[in-house]
Amino acid sequence: MPNVSTRLQNLSDVLTQHGTTIALSLAVLIAGMLLVRGIHKGLLKLMPTNRFGVIFCNTVYSILTMIVLIAAATEFGAKPLNELRGLSIITLVVLGLVIFMRPFLPSMPFKVGNTIKAGDLLGVVEGITFLNTRLRTFDGKTFFVPNHKIINEIVINYHFTPTRRLKIDVGIQYDQNLVKAKQVLEAVMVEDARVKNKPGPAVYVLNLARDSVELGGRCWVQNKEYWITRCDLLEKTKLRFDREGIKFAFPQLELHYNPGHTPDIDPRDNVLAGTNHN
Amino acid sequence: MSWPGLTTIDRIAECEGDTLGGEQMKISEGLNIISTGWIRKPKGFRVRFHKPTETGFKVGYSPPLDDAPMASDVTARRYAWKLWQATQKEVEANSPEAIYNIVVVDDLDRPFPSYATGELERYNPNNFDGRNEKKAKKDDGTD
Repeated sequence: MPNVSTRLQNLSDVLTQHGTTIALSLAVLIAGMLLVRGIHKGLLKLMPTNRFGVIFCNTVYSILTMIVLIAAATEFGAKPLNELRGLSIITLVVLGLVIFMRPFLPSMPFKVGNTIKAGDLLGVVEGITFLNTRLRTFDGKTFFVPNHKIINEIVINYHFTPTRRLKIDVGIQYDQNLVKAKQVLEAVMVEDARVKNKPGPAVYVLNLARDSVELGGRCWVQNKEYWITRCDLLEKTKLRFDREGIKFAFPQLELHYNPGHTPDIDPRDNVLAGTNHN
Repeated sequence: MSWPGLTTIDRIAECEGDTLGGEQMKISEGLNIISTGWIRKPKGFRVRFHKPTETGFKVGYSPPLDDAPMASDVTARRYAWKLWQATQKEVEANSPEAIYNIVVVDDLDRPFPSYATGELERYNPNNFDGRNEKKAKKDDGTD
């Protein structure tokens, strides 16, 4: 107990001697930080929302914060030159660590505004915090996904590459004109304004399946236009094939009925065979 | 199977020429010829229409020429069809707000064939000679 009372006495002495200085220094710190925050918000509104604008605003924010910290420490009694040296050393160390450790730091493989698929969720990233990622799916739902869950999932970022390959797979009947079908499918892709010239569209015979000859059309489109282009190309393919008289395949089974050659089979034979096979 | 400009021949000798000499063409050059000469790829689509004035008519575009065109002819054709559906009453009433000769055009301002029928479609046709043709010439009934 005497120790506690001694400590309290010491604290009281310190506050008596330096109380005004501490209060002033805190006031400078709080007022300065509020001012810096206001300036930062104002700059973010004024500057364009591109990468350069964000970097500029953050740099100004960091410099102003350092000035406020130095002012508060000076008010407390520290020497400005020593503070400047100390802050410079800390800044350099942090920058060095960030630059060298960046490849080893866990980071999200996407940015705000990207369209991603993480697990079963497909949507646009609306926000990233330390704890979770806010994802808006295309049916209007907002998901708050824990970051550790996203890091452990396979993530597809559709903004990583500007273009994407589009597949139009169709099956035609065996008696149809295969060469003409290939030409028509290729023309449908080439004619579309959104389909890229390089690499150009191509049509392959994918498979000689049981009910159909499977054709695969491949072309490249902008990532942003993928979905609507795919829907349009499917619609155009159906209508153009109809116009050209090319018939699509569908699952079917051919039965040949020939009553003159029906063998005489006694159903009891199968039953007996089943019972006697032991 | 037959295409215009294609002739099949019976004897291989008819195909043979100066097989080792003559003009040489790299594949990239051939692909360039194909990309420019086979099928022209439009850069965008607009809906063009005529609006009556006191002296005749004026031509309009949607989206305007200063705006980006529509990337899809499917969307453009659907848009033109809806405009036609929405302006039939005005056309029947000969209203000054009516719009005529609604067609989908490409970036060269040429009417673009419908992807559904392969033919040119013009909605609310009017030759501005004092009479309106009540029905669209190409109403294929697909919608």
